[in-house]
Amino acid sequence: MKFETKAIHSGFSHDPKTGATALPIYQTAAFAHDSAEAISDVFQGRKFGYIYTRISNPTVTAFEARVTQLENGLGTVAFSTGMAAIAAAVYTLVQQGEHIVSSRSLFGGTLHLFEDLKRFGISVTYVDATDVNAIKEAITPQTRLVFMETIANPKLDVPDFKAISEITKAHNIPLVVDATVTTPFSFDAKGHGVSIVIHSATKYMGLGGTTLGGTLTDLGTFSWKNTLTESVKEMLKKVGPEFAFLAKVRKQNVTNAGNNLAPMNAFLLQLGLETLSLRFEKHCSNALALAKALEANKHVASVQYLGLESHKNHALAKKQYAHFSGLLTLRLGSKEACFKFMNALKLVKNLANLGDSKTLAIHTASTIYNDCTPQERELAGVYDDLIRVSVGLEHPDDIIADFAQALEQIGG
Amino acid sequence: MQVTINGQKETLQESAITVTQLLKIKNVDMPDMVSVELNGSILERANFETTPINDGDDIEFLYFMGGGVR
Repeated sequence: MKFETKAIHSGFSHDPKTGATALPIYQTAAFAHDSAEAISDVFQGRKFGYIYTRISNPTVTAFEARVTQLENGLGTVAFSTGMAAIAAAVYTLVQQGEHIVSSRSLFGGTLHLFEDLKRFGISVTYVDATDVNAIKEAITPQTRLVFMETIANPKLDVPDFKAISEITKAHNIPLVVDATVTTPFSFDAKGHGVSIVIHSATKYMGLGGTTLGGTLTDLGTFSWKNTLTESVKEMLKKVGPEFAFLAKVRKQNVTNAGNNLAPMNAFLLQLGLETLSLRFEKHCSNALALAKALEANKHVASVQYLGLESHKNHALAKKQYAHFSGLLTLRLGSKEACFKFMNALKLVKNLANLGDSKTLAIHTASTIYNDCTPQERELAGVYDDLIRVSVGLEHPDDIIADFAQALEQIGG
Repeated sequence: MQVTINGQKETLQESAITVTQLLKIKNVDMPDMVSVELNGSILERANFETTPINDGDDIEFLYFMGGGVR
């Protein structure tokens, strides 16, 4: 089955009890059992069943199964948010005294999460995601994972996944990738040697910027048999090598830490997946149209979009991704110009999100990265005159017209 | 042959089967997500097709993704 078909039928096709073709929302905290033996068996893991929604829930299971199929993976654990999924990967794979190698052009939320790890005795080395050698040089005997994003938000760095996966494989550590901006539709994580792929389902998977959620998928490409991670090692004897990582993630982060996805959200995200391919194609064609129009606009100092052949990462993006995403940035010369522009927008929304059906814009330096040092901002590719845009699904003419009229307000 | 499955003694009609065949015969829930412990040791999934079930074996089917986790 192709992606578009799996997106509609995998994980849930119809409810065998009632015939309903929409996923039932099991809006329940807990689940009753027929006998004391039965509930004990489920608790012991001997029988498949449900106990309490913080542990698992049938609506959430269906969403997880669909994401697993779309990523051609081994299994998926869903979370309340994308950040919870990233936190889960890190808290499972790394402990005190250990180390992470990460791209330095990170989404702000991830950067803050990683910086806070110092308190727990976990160190992070940030490297240029596009410098394969630097990644290799940064790995130490204490490194437990390498973390990358498919498209750096907002720097638009693109890592060479085949090259990086060879290095992580040689060091027996997993390659963890946040593929939110490319989605499973556009990036074949498994085919590129990624070990674990994470999504903020809030962005493109969900519909209209309504629903928070996150997913973590073990692609089955990393052998946990000889893992360096203690917490996963302990699970080998309990569940076997294939599921050791996923079992630990679920137990520690979902069951223990309570970062589960709500059933209602799972329903909405599952629904969103059905039209992900259609919507993503439109986000991308709109982004290209806007990028081209902005290139020609005299008020714009520069525009950055991976779909433009002029972008230095265009060739690698084209090789690895089926589409270039809806993420683009523009530079307007000064913070004043940016604020004039932002305040003049009528259709485009000024807020912190990505992947909404509405086109969004934000001045990242004074918002998401406002409490970062100038050096951190520089590494993340955030400048005082930079606007990040998430191109939506409106008619491209209307998007372009709103940008044009707002740019006119800059004057000069 | 006589085997124990999840703590219950059972008599199987078959005399020589693999783990994969046992999963089918018992119509196990979610066969893609079940771990199998044979005589106290967890099996690798890659070996399900080639591991035989013998008379007197103690088998546990374990689910970690759904309900409880040991």
